[in-house]
Amino acid sequence: MQFDDKVPIYYQIKNHLYHEMMTGQLVPGEKLPAVRQLAVDLTVNVNTVQRALGEMITEGIITSQRGKGNFVTTETPRITQLKEHLIMEQLERAYEQLHALNLSDDEIIASLKQYIAQRGQQDD
Amino acid sequence: MTNVLAINQVGYKHNFKTILHDVDLTLETGKIIGLLGENGAGKTTLMRLITGSAKGSGTIAVCGDTSTAHHKSHVSFTEQLRGFAASTRVDRVADFYRTVYPDFNGARFEEMVTFLQIDTSLKLTALSKGMKEKVIIALTLARQVNLYLLDEPFSGIDSMSRKRIISSILKWKPADATMVISDHYVSEIAPILDEVVIVKDQTVYAHKESDAIREEFGLSIEDYYESLYTEGGTDRD
Repeated sequence: MQFDDKVPIYYQIKNHLYHEMMTGQLVPGEKLPAVRQLAVDLTVNVNTVQRALGEMITEGIITSQRGKGNFVTTETPRITQLKEHLIMEQLERAYEQLHALNLSDDEIIASLKQYIAQRGQQDD
Repeated sequence: MTNVLAINQVGYKHNFKTILHDVDLTLETGKIIGLLGENGAGKTTLMRLITGSAKGSGTIAVCGDTSTAHHKSHVSFTEQLRGFAASTRVDRVADFYRTVYPDFNGARFEEMVTFLQIDTSLKLTALSKGMKEKVIIALTLARQVNLYLLDEPFSGIDSMSRKRIISSILKWKPADATMVISDHYVSEIAPILDEVVIVKDQTVYAHKESDAIREEFGLSIEDYYESLYTEGGTDRD
């Protein structure tokens, strides 16, 4: 995994794990590798992995079982919620930037539709 | 969190020239610290002061012990394999370590030798730069201590060796031990550092958490480090 050195590493580890959950590379109930193993695999510090996992445990995305390790939650609504949250985060950022360019809501919707249509053509 | 190292008002002069002055630095247990600074900034001197092989003013406590004579039992530092004849074989150096340091763990050393692909039958003169650094890492980490010091382990070595060395640090550094890695080029080790300590103007100029630098300033560790050198701009040459 390549890191952007301008962004906190713990944040990038969280995003990396979120991504694996969204794309089904990590499934509900799956056991995560041991902290040190994750650190070696991602070439990051053990403490940084701990911090990322700690926050995900607080968020309820990961559950920690004493002596057994860390697991992806089996409460699938949590994962659905997370996905909605990540979508909102991206939309918020895009909306704010378009809004800053003085676009009205209608114009934003129109340009987004146009963008998707153009993209579709490029893909063909 | 307990402190593994507490440096208080330390100074060091060599031939009437100030190398370091007013150094204050406290390090917690279980961290990986990047010690950054230009060549000649005093990074190696600081390491020698910590082990007690150099004597300066002020106090240095390792695990709460201010007697420098006791530091060598808490600190593992292999300074460039000095003191060994060039014709000494690597396995003889390891034998020496085993004899001198009761905390030297032979099994750990063997594991690292395998992982780093070290041929221990080679003489020190026959080692490439990268191989020599690997030997130093294995010897240093095979001891079980509270504080590990690595002096520029990545200078002039290829990227494959560098990756192996970084992996071995992540694999074998005991969870409750602290490691200080000095370097004048930070980007290659930035992702593994908990904190950075910057040596500039003959003192500890800055001490920051790595992710705090990224979070607060939106800067990479390298950019932050470089910004400290350009903003002051007093003694560039």
